[in-house]
Amino acid sequence: MTIRKKYLNWLVILFLSVVIAVVFQQIFTSMTEQGIASGGPYDNAAAYPRLIAILIGVLIALQFVLSQFRSTENDSDELVVNIADLRRPAILLSIFAVYLTLLGILGYHLTTTPMIVSVMVLCGMRFSLTTVGAALVISFVLAYAFEVYLKVVLPGGIFSLNIPW
Amino acid sequence: MLIDSILSGYGLFMTPMAIGLTLLGVLFGLVVGALPGLGPLMGIILLLPVAIGLPPVAAMGFLIAIFVGGSCGGSISAILLPIPGTPLAAATLFDGYPMAKKGRASDAIGIAISASAIGGLFGGVVLILLAPALAQFASNFAPPEYAALAVTGLIAIAVISKESLLKGLIAGCFGLLIATIGTDEFSTGYRFTFDSHHMLNGFHIVAVVVGLFAISEMAYQTMSDDLIKKPEIEIARPGFGSIFLTLKHWKNLLRSSTIGAFFGTLPGAGGVISSFTSYAVAKASAGPDEKYGEGAEGGVVATESANNSTVGGTLVPSLALGIPGDASSAVLIGALLILGFFPGPTLFEQQPEIVGGIFLVYLASNIFLLIAGILATPLFVYVLRIPKAYLIPIVLLLCCIGTYALQASVFDLFVMLGFGIVGILFRAANYPLSPIVIGIILGPLLENNLRRSLLISDNGYWIFLDRPISAILIIVNIILIAGAVWFALRGKAHSNTALMDKH
Amino acid sequence: MRIKKLIAASIAAVVISSSAALAEFPERTVENIFPWSAGVAMSVSQIIAKAMGEELGVSLPVVSTPGAAGTKAFKTAMNRPADGYTIFDGYVAPLVLQPVLGNADWTYKDFKPLHSAVSNAFSIGVKKGDPRFKTFEDLMEYGKANPGKLRYSSGSRNNLPHMVIAKVLQTYGVVAQNIPYKTDGDARKDLKAGVLDFSFINVGAYLQDKEGFDILLVLSELDGAKKSYDGAPNITDLGIDTGLSGLAPMGWTWWLVHKDTPDEVADVLREAMKKAMSRDDVKEAITRVGFVPLEWDHTQYDDVVGPVSGQLGAMGNALKWEEEELKKLN
Repeated sequence: MTIRKKYLNWLVILFLSVVIAVVFQQIFTSMTEQGIASGGPYDNAAAYPRLIAILIGVLIALQFVLSQFRSTENDSDELVVNIADLRRPAILLSIFAVYLTLLGILGYHLTTTPMIVSVMVLCGMRFSLTTVGAALVISFVLAYAFEVYLKVVLPGGIFSLNIPW
Repeated sequence: MLIDSILSGYGLFMTPMAIGLTLLGVLFGLVVGALPGLGPLMGIILLLPVAIGLPPVAAMGFLIAIFVGGSCGGSISAILLPIPGTPLAAATLFDGYPMAKKGRASDAIGIAISASAIGGLFGGVVLILLAPALAQFASNFAPPEYAALAVTGLIAIAVISKESLLKGLIAGCFGLLIATIGTDEFSTGYRFTFDSHHMLNGFHIVAVVVGLFAISEMAYQTMSDDLIKKPEIEIARPGFGSIFLTLKHWKNLLRSSTIGAFFGTLPGAGGVISSFTSYAVAKASAGPDEKYGEGAEGGVVATESANNSTVGGTLVPSLALGIPGDASSAVLIGALLILGFFPGPTLFEQQPEIVGGIFLVYLASNIFLLIAGILATPLFVYVLRIPKAYLIPIVLLLCCIGTYALQASVFDLFVMLGFGIVGILFRAANYPLSPIVIGIILGPLLENNLRRSLLISDNGYWIFLDRPISAILIIVNIILIAGAVWFALRGKAHSNTALMDKH
Repeated sequence: MRIKKLIAASIAAVVISSSAALAEFPERTVENIFPWSAGVAMSVSQIIAKAMGEELGVSLPVVSTPGAAGTKAFKTAMNRPADGYTIFDGYVAPLVLQPVLGNADWTYKDFKPLHSAVSNAFSIGVKKGDPRFKTFEDLMEYGKANPGKLRYSSGSRNNLPHMVIAKVLQTYGVVAQNIPYKTDGDARKDLKAGVLDFSFINVGAYLQDKEGFDILLVLSELDGAKKSYDGAPNITDLGIDTGLSGLAPMGWTWWLVHKDTPDEVADVLREAMKKAMSRDDVKEAITRVGFVPLEWDHTQYDDVVGPVSGQLGAMGNALKWEEEELKKLN
């Protein structure tokens, strides 16, 4: 199954339309309630984002009009993306999202090694002691470098797991 | 007087500690610059507590060297990964990465380092010779001029995103919109914060940049088939020959360094704008056979000489007036104050030896950058030989820790992930990503100075034409818009080759 | 084999870390959550943090968390565990002023004080040699004759200098337009460029560029503040009654921890900060940048901060008054 690049542009336009909608929704609700949606430049915080949102809308419309005139000219729009190719990026982002969620709960040291191993396996490495070992080394070397030399306190999670190097 | 101050600073600089720390600072700067997510600002902030316990010139040498190394280090990851380690190196990617793909990675890095060092030295000459005049010119700029200047930067977006003028502008405006998130300075109201305290200061720009560039790139990387293969990359050692490769582009070097130094002296403009502008100018003045965007040496020369020359330029208003050009120089000013020195005209009069010492450490940082950078290149090229199956999780983890380190916030990590997804979508649909970043940087500059101008003005928008410099900038902007539209329309007639079709 | 050893070592490290949680406080980095962007004030906090870290034997980084007049830093720190590893850099704006203005749902009593840190006096200054304004009275006379025409900056809107300046202007019946700036340096640059008529000038900025400004009014009745500005007239000299005394018209910070922090942990921090604040090198470094090191310890917190809170609360209407007068003019 494949998808044409042209349709990906529609996804971006859909995304930007949602953004524009949110801008106006916020102006009419939150900003109006705060009393910052009217008045002069000192008090009106809504005028500028509204202007930019409208500008994006105009540019999208212009893009649409122009694309009607030269529909076949731009070859890149006709390129296709194979849906099957998107499997790995999708899984990668899912692993990453799960990692970030657990990071705050379980802390850096409990979550990082499994994340690295999962990504390595996703990339085609065999699940083995070497993989796990490498992941452990990467995780601890980076933690050491940042915590000791750069004075960063990595998330400890609910168990407050922090290594006093 | 000039020579006197440099000579009086000589004694303060010529200590093993000052020289050693300057060298260490350059190497540390290269590393924090190359690590995606960090950058010169983070490097300076992290080592500030160490520096303030040192003698003044050694401390400033250490911090300025991190600034110099960090401004160059981003190019290494831009060329090799290809992820700009800092937004400064985003434009280095256009030609640096194609060079690497053609097997010229070490040449590209050699040129990037040489151009950075030479541009940096040029910035140093500007700093030393033209500081008073340049500073005086830029310090006359008031809100109307800055607003007009921000618009110039926005038009530069249209010029650099040759793929599609419209897509570039849309991405740029999206960046402007992101910049409005958080507490509005004027009304003190909250915009688009959705009642979350994390959003009160908007999204952290590093979280956004790392997400847009690094996370989306890693996701794209997983689509390739050679994830566990060791890439066959010859470890060429770029001797000091790359200096000559760079010097062949002497016109480009001189022009880009001048642009860099100029933007550096304008507070708020900074290295990102100067590197993109230099790239655009170099590309416009190049012959068709140079093939910008496909691995032209000139592209790397232009961006890297400009962003390091900016460092020298930034120090001009920082030292001469105490007005920082960007966040990094603001921290440098903070460090100077702790050490007991107030940057400003009085510093030049009363403590010329400190000024001279700072001039010397700045020049030395760039010389060290040239030597140490080129010698260490094989080390950085080695990064590419690590199979992607290792590199991808390492980079992901680095992005996480680096972004987390900014303000110890897990929320920033989700921002990074969110912008990773936006980045993937925009790339897939051939939207350029860099204008988003430029938009975020220019956003506050444009909006605040626009509103400030209107508050100052007694007769509305006329303030922009009443002031001569602002009026000139507005006219320049109109000419640029007209020119961009004209080129765009003409370009459409021919089938134009995309500048960044892979990015 | 090597890898197995590494794994064993790593597991051992994790075990050590969890058992170490029972050890004596502090056994890892303590963080100071600082409410502004990097700059002189942050450098001052870093001076104290460095010294205090030395006393504690761990490092003490200052984490800049700007946003929403300092309240973002407070909310960030409040969401951390009350274990003493997070210190609030309790600047007056998020600690007292924002609650008074109704922008925060805490009061200064919701925290456990460690020790007072520094204060920083403000003044009103004009461009050096501005022929229109030789004295503060000139400025006020002009302001009365031209309502809404004067342009000034207090840095950001609704901050402490804004409140104090608005109060002074209110006592003279002068309506002027505040222009917000992200950094004070930009405001002073525009003052020098003639875009602004007057601006708040803190001691640090004055020391840095004495030739750049004429200080017309020092916004404090304390002699020390007057001396920092080389004897420029203060509010007592001009007989202005703002209803503010002591620390109230000044910027200051008092380091705090979460209210639920165990006393023995807070005491360790208090002891370390007291030692740090009494060190001569620390005092000297702070004084050099125009800040004043403070010597009150935690037992005096209520006596010092209480009146400030009361006085600021009583004059909160100055900002409202300015807003309404400006609206009438437009």
